[in-house]
Amino acid sequence: MEPCGRVPTPPQAGLFSAVTSAFIIEVHSHLQQDPNDETAALLRVLIHKIDNTTFGTDPPTLPQWTGPPQTIVQVQAILLASLAASLFSAFFAMLGKQWLNRYASTDMRGTTIERSQNRQRKLDGIVAWYFDHVMGSLPLMLQAALLLLGCALSHYLWGINATVASVVIGVTASGVIFYLFIVAAGVASESCPYQTPGSHAFRYLRRKVRIILRSATSVIRDAFRKSKTARTVNDNVWWYHPWWSRGKIKPFLKDMVLEVPRAIAIDACHFGRVMVWSFTAGVYNLGSVMIIPLVSRLRGTPSTPGQESDQQLIVLDLRCISWMLQTSLDKAIHLSTLKHLTTMMPLTNFDPALIAHCLNTFVGCININNCKVVITRGLEHLATVSAVCFLRTFYQLSTMNPTSSVLEGVRQRHDKVFPLGTDFRGLPWYYMMAKAYGLTNQCLNLRYTWWDNYRPSPQQHIPFTWGIAEAAQVAYQGTQCRKVPRWILRFTLRSLSLDPPPPTSVIADCLSIIAIDLGCDISSIGTTSANRCVCI
Amino acid sequence: MEHISSLITLKVKVMAAKAEGTDELRSKRKAITTLLPYAVWQELSGKPQMLNTILCAARASRMLWFRWYRIRQFVIPILSKATPRAIVLLAPHIPWSLLTGRGDLVRQWTTATSMVPYTEEVARSVVDTLLQIASRSKLLPHITIGVWLWLTKRPSLPPVCSGRHFGTYLHVVQAVRRLKDIEILKSYLLLTWSEWDAVQHGAFNEICASIREDFGGVGMDRHRADLIQQLDNVLGQLDRGSEQFKQHNPDHSVFDLQTAKQEYEKLKGVLVEVGRRTPSLIMMLFYVLTLVGT
Repeated sequence: MEPCGRVPTPPQAGLFSAVTSAFIIEVHSHLQQDPNDETAALLRVLIHKIDNTTFGTDPPTLPQWTGPPQTIVQVQAILLASLAASLFSAFFAMLGKQWLNRYASTDMRGTTIERSQNRQRKLDGIVAWYFDHVMGSLPLMLQAALLLLGCALSHYLWGINATVASVVIGVTASGVIFYLFIVAAGVASESCPYQTPGSHAFRYLRRKVRIILRSATSVIRDAFRKSKTARTVNDNVWWYHPWWSRGKIKPFLKDMVLEVPRAIAIDACHFGRVMVWSFTAGVYNLGSVMIIPLVSRLRGTPSTPGQESDQQLIVLDLRCISWMLQTSLDKAIHLSTLKHLTTMMPLTNFDPALIAHCLNTFVGCININNCKVVITRGLEHLATVSAVCFLRTFYQLSTMNPTSSVLEGVRQRHDKVFPLGTDFRGLPWYYMMAKAYGLTNQCLNLRYTWWDNYRPSPQQHIPFTWGIAEAAQVAYQGTQCRKVPRWILRFTLRSLSLDPPPPTSVIADCLSIIAIDLGCDISSIGTTSANRCVCI
Repeated sequence: MEHISSLITLKVKVMAAKAEGTDELRSKRKAITTLLPYAVWQELSGKPQMLNTILCAARASRMLWFRWYRIRQFVIPILSKATPRAIVLLAPHIPWSLLTGRGDLVRQWTTATSMVPYTEEVARSVVDTLLQIASRSKLLPHITIGVWLWLTKRPSLPPVCSGRHFGTYLHVVQAVRRLKDIEILKSYLLLTWSEWDAVQHGAFNEICASIREDFGGVGMDRHRADLIQQLDNVLGQLDRGSEQFKQHNPDHSVFDLQTAKQEYEKLKGVLVEVGRRTPSLIMMLFYVLTLVGT
């Protein structure tokens, strides 16, 4: 996110202001009485005194000043509004520069992680306080100033000379039409390069209006269908058909008079109830959509890192990691970032896009030739770490929020990159990809993932078991029956049955899984994530 | 790791103690089965607590099949490192029905039974396993006479016992008869006749034939008396109704009870009839002396 590029610079706003000021000065003279006019009148009176035949029968009089013409006042008001808009724009642009300088400054010392957290905190604040939108509105102010200047000039010149005014009106109208056209193009197509803040706003509104219209249509249709009055009229019309005949018109009208007022009363009552309900729902929605986030924002993110809880720090770290993976192309940064991710416990409230970033990093480390996966030379370590992170995050989200749309996207991407029959055998992250394959294809039965006749190396067994232990914890807490999935227990049984036995940390993680399933309180047992990270 | 291991052991122990036969223990049987390889390692390094606790939990569950069937894939690596005691005690929980081609496992178990010192628990495990193995016709030839002799120890089998439940198939009765050892045959019948299980359908006639042919000779009074006493005991228990059975074995149904009662009454009838037809030893002596005198 780089909002600097969207901020108009103060010189541009200053140029606008200077142009507007010149016209203001020009028009300003018309706001006061012109002394030359009074002098000319006095001269005319003097000449009339000397020779009363000069002006004929009509003697000159001293003019009375009744204030500036209404047109001039209007023009001057519009010009001043234009000047104010451009000046405010310059002022806010200057402030924006200052805010961005603060954002760009490194005003905190510490480790890379602490500085990243600080940067992420600032970025979160920018997103939370709609800084982007505020900065985006500054050009709008300049555009409004230009429009006002055009209107004022046209109005002013119309009183002086219609031909000259027509030229100005024509140019202004062309500018307005062109602007409206690019706004419309921007609204119609998101890929249109002529995007303006207005087109963003209209696109957002269009979505909202469409939803509102759809719901309003259905409400009206429902209301009409359920309306007692409509039903009563309809029933009577059908009952007395043809009601206009001589014998039926009387009882028809009688029944209508008797039944329709009651039906109207029922409908009014129903309508009142619906209105109250809608109002309540509206207030609730308004509260939940606008007020609650606003209040929480005002209560806000703590200003200093010391005020944050560990949980918030973890969330902040996860956002940092997501941002780094998204923006950086440096493999070394990817590696160190993902390594940090592997040490984090627990993975909660992370941005679902993190899964896609992990998968993208992993895919960037490999090539697939004839369904055989080959690691790019020098990226073996990054491939393993990113595979661990991908599996971890993917399993976490598929357990916590199985209906997430991100999961579907990841599944599609995974299937596209690794088509059916992709051979992972012989690779250090074979185990993880086997499981990921099972997860992405939603077949948790590992019979289909070449699981049984394979002994993982300690380098892949240790992080994988750790990830599985974490997944077991999530699954146990996520299920109502408090059970660890069967495939995890099967994996545990297999790991514990290996001959020779697996590494100690694997056994410890396997025991943790069993303890979780049995409902033991293992919170007192410390994690050895740092050691595991070294192993990875 | 030690801490978490002791935590798990304690948890399983508590579950076994307080939740006898309830769903809690049953629902966690997969996790408890998963512990087996680790428990075997622990036992090997002189810490048998976890293994004992698992066995205790298996008993307390009162399930015919407490273990998770997935263990079958890992039986060989687990037992290859286990002590004879662990092999003998774990053997009843091995899914022998799914390992019918593994005669080597039976031999390994046979070797372990000869190495482990006798206790009531060991005898119970050996008999239970023996009957389970015998119920599999492919594994039956691998059982040696030395193992069959464990039947003569006559340990008290628990109310829910897989060996007794599946050990009365026709081919098992025939195999025991083929041993031509009346003590083993009597012990087999005494162990399998129980109020907790009925005789398997196809084996009933074979048992009747065995009573008539094997226990019908002269000098079989003592054996018949033992068998009749066991049947009286069993029938007496069955007369007490189904409620007490359900307390100890939730899977015990009224249908089983009625069937078992009818079968055991018939068996007793056969025994009594055989006893009536067979002349006693004194009568035989009198007959012989009369012949000699004439």
